[in-house]
Amino acid sequence: MNILNSYRLMIRNVRVNTDPGTLVFLVLMPTIYLVFMGYMFGTLISQIPVGTTSINYKEFLSPGIAAFETATAGIVAGGLLWSDRRYGMFEQILSSPYTRAEYLFGILLTTLVFGFIGSGIMMLVSEAFLDYTAISLMGVGLIVVSISLGSLFFGCMFLAIAAKVKSNQAYNSLTILIIFLVDFASTVFYPITSATPEALKILFYVNPLTYIADVVRAGYISTVTTTNLVELLVTLIETVVMVAIAVLLYRKVRVGVT
Amino acid sequence: MSGVLGLTSFPIEVQDLKYTYDGRKYAVDGISFSVREGEVFGMLGRNGAGKTTTIRILSTLLKRSSGSVRVLGMDPSTAGNRIRKRIGVVLQDESFDFTTVEKALDVYGFIWGVSKSERDKKRESLLNTFELTDVRKKRMWDLSGGQKRRVQVAREFMHDMDLLFLDEPTSGLDPIARRNILNMIKDLTKDGLSVLFTTHNLEEADYLCQRVAIMNNGKILASDTIDALKTGYNGLKTVEVKIGGDQAGAESMFSKVSSGRVEPPFESGLPYRIVTENTQETMQEIIKLAVTESVQIEWLNVRAVSLEDVFISTIAGGA
Repeated sequence: MNILNSYRLMIRNVRVNTDPGTLVFLVLMPTIYLVFMGYMFGTLISQIPVGTTSINYKEFLSPGIAAFETATAGIVAGGLLWSDRRYGMFEQILSSPYTRAEYLFGILLTTLVFGFIGSGIMMLVSEAFLDYTAISLMGVGLIVVSISLGSLFFGCMFLAIAAKVKSNQAYNSLTILIIFLVDFASTVFYPITSATPEALKILFYVNPLTYIADVVRAGYISTVTTTNLVELLVTLIETVVMVAIAVLLYRKVRVGVT
Repeated sequence: MSGVLGLTSFPIEVQDLKYTYDGRKYAVDGISFSVREGEVFGMLGRNGAGKTTTIRILSTLLKRSSGSVRVLGMDPSTAGNRIRKRIGVVLQDESFDFTTVEKALDVYGFIWGVSKSERDKKRESLLNTFELTDVRKKRMWDLSGGQKRRVQVAREFMHDMDLLFLDEPTSGLDPIARRNILNMIKDLTKDGLSVLFTTHNLEEADYLCQRVAIMNNGKILASDTIDALKTGYNGLKTVEVKIGGDQAGAESMFSKVSSGRVEPPFESGLPYRIVTENTQETMQEIIKLAVTESVQIEWLNVRAVSLEDVFISTIAGGA
């Protein structure tokens, strides 16, 4: 596999996807969450305990929304494979000097790019709207690792869906359903407390976005606990499993067949 | 074009190629042919004849079930990437990126590793050649079917190649756009480009191809130069007869024609054809039969034997 080829495809993916629709999806929707929920719930909720400290709701929500961008980037990745299959570019690219592995790796690189761009923009928006404090070097490291794993996990999850579904309607319905489930059954918007129902807790703990949001949040406030490191490890394992599933399903995608 | 001079005089060599999608029925059933350097080789056939599957195998998109294939001297099943670096493929199905026409051309050149200055030059030239200048800023999904097809074909010329696969490249195009594309391909073959070309349009094949293969049900029924294929029809002419009104008696009437070989229409609404040595005698016989059988003739026409006659006759004979 030639990494340069995947890099070329990543550039192509970014160039053909930087349309207003994608940017709205990537930036505007999470910004609305951030601003509206941050201000509105910020007035209702005082302090939320996180690790060894406690923070206000705005500080809680900002890293959550940055983590949420990994799932949004994942949708872009799945959408790439789906639209390339649907509109013939998958077959066209595979008749060019690119291997299937290079194509797949190109999409994963694109997911990382969109994950980082989306999260970065959300951090900047947080700075502007939510009086955010400086992040330590270790915090930056944790955020980078966490965003990378999250982008890869969700990129592969939506790739797997794009490899399996047969219609545009099915792909859109599934992604909307999953994104709502993943976002709201995680610690992006609220913490898990003793009052959280047990059944929901299971959903929260299975969901990697919970761990990604927690680790990004720990990175933001520079209070890393052992729990955060365990969460990072769980995210890594879940990502490896999801990459394997995506590769398996992607290998079965036939040219000229949607 | 970088050219394949000195490497092989047959960019494509196929022997007893077979392909099955389901393990039971062969979409390509033991075909053999070769394409010479600088030649446009046409594959003619009805829908489902196996033309697209053949192109997919040769362009490394599908792995053959059996047989021997050499593309630019290499085996597609083991040298896929090396082959793909030197070929161009315009697939039959629509393919486009969700972007503007000019960006689509540029991005395609980019993924082929064409430098920025070269891309700019080629893009401008192709926008002119394919008459896309007026729609260069339009997004692909805002274009008509014919415009999309023009972009799809133009896009392939953003990079150099030694061998070009064109799977019905002119479908949905107006006559002028079609002629522009055919002329461009003709010019490129003078520089050594070899082309495998599939089409339903036999006039196109007659205009562009040096040799053709007529395919049906996965098999090649006939393959030669167009002149050689027409040789069997030397001195013959085609009388076309369009039946008007009730078609009921037509079949019975044409079964009684003795002065030439009758080929029934491919589909309803088309004329009957009679390939004959003596057009005068055939026309008189048909008019006489029409009167006695009470069949209404809408019009009658005499012309030279075309590739279409050869095609229909071959398909009818091989079916």
